[in-house]
Amino acid sequence: MGCFQSKVTRQYPGHEDPIVLASQTAFSVSEVEALFELFKSISSSVIDDGLINKEEFQLALFKNRKKENIFANRIFDLFDAKKKGVIDFGDFVRALNVFHPNVSQDDKIDFAFRLYDMDGTGFIERNEVKQMLIALLCESEVKLADETIEAILDKTFLEADMNQDGKIDISEWKHFVSRNPSLLKIMTLPYLRDITTTFPSFIFHSEVDEIAT
Amino acid sequence: MAKLTNLNAFDIISLSSGFDLSGLFVENDEKKEVQFTSTHTFSSITSKLGDIAQNLKLKVKKQGGLMKMEGTSGGRKGALAIDAEIFEFTPSFHLVELRKSSGDTLEFQKTLKQDVRPALKDIVWAWQGQPHQQS
Repeated sequence: MGCFQSKVTRQYPGHEDPIVLASQTAFSVSEVEALFELFKSISSSVIDDGLINKEEFQLALFKNRKKENIFANRIFDLFDAKKKGVIDFGDFVRALNVFHPNVSQDDKIDFAFRLYDMDGTGFIERNEVKQMLIALLCESEVKLADETIEAILDKTFLEADMNQDGKIDISEWKHFVSRNPSLLKIMTLPYLRDITTTFPSFIFHSEVDEIAT
Repeated sequence: MAKLTNLNAFDIISLSSGFDLSGLFVENDEKKEVQFTSTHTFSSITSKLGDIAQNLKLKVKKQGGLMKMEGTSGGRKGALAIDAEIFEFTPSFHLVELRKSSGDTLEFQKTLKQDVRPALKDIVWAWQGQPHQQS
């Protein structure tokens, strides 16, 4: 395992042993290996450096490397756990893990909170929600009057902001989600169940080759 | 049929394609759901979807905010069934989500392209990921 592992780590900085990643996530070893196949193809699509940069992420998500989207940016920022501006394989597996159907609701609730807490203050402020709402309307080319937008925000904060301080903290968020479970819909990817059929792993073969040479 | 009104801000925000990570796993023409916006009324949209279901010989069942359109003949992976969910921004601005609920994804995509999209032309403002076409 030693020779193969060090070669892979040189080519893929941040690559971790699939057995370790499988033990820390809801994925099996072969699912982690399948994710590595996916990771290899995304991370080499613009710059072949074994890391996923923002353009490569945009290319994979939208099939358009130049397409910017504030929500995709938030997802990218959360995947980039070490704040290096790039996503390594360990980051990739750990972040996708949160979207696995078998992972706890608590993990998904926390991730969604951090997603919407755009400036990372530990609170989802009203102006952040307004900014995101306007961005979505713009994305869908829907025009709403400012009063309508304010009315939607008023209603949301009336329900979610229990102490009425103009911002939603994590415990208010948990209560809000328990009453509106559809808010977590975005936090589960059914595709993660079929990953080994979508991306067959060839690592086993290459590991055998490495040992032979 | 009940429509999804009283959307809170997060319901609306979560409709963004930026949160749809399925693109990491499949190409656009392999996706199991599509969205479009419409400036038509709720009843105009449901009526149009009902017509399409009838032409495709799909049985329509309404379940709360969902319009379920179910085929009876078996395809490659069983009969095709499509769910339509309608979200209201205002009485004259809606977002519709069409999802494959069972059957073969390729067949779903083919049905969308050949039958559904052309039939919806009059009521669609913009398909997700595509700009509004000035007609």
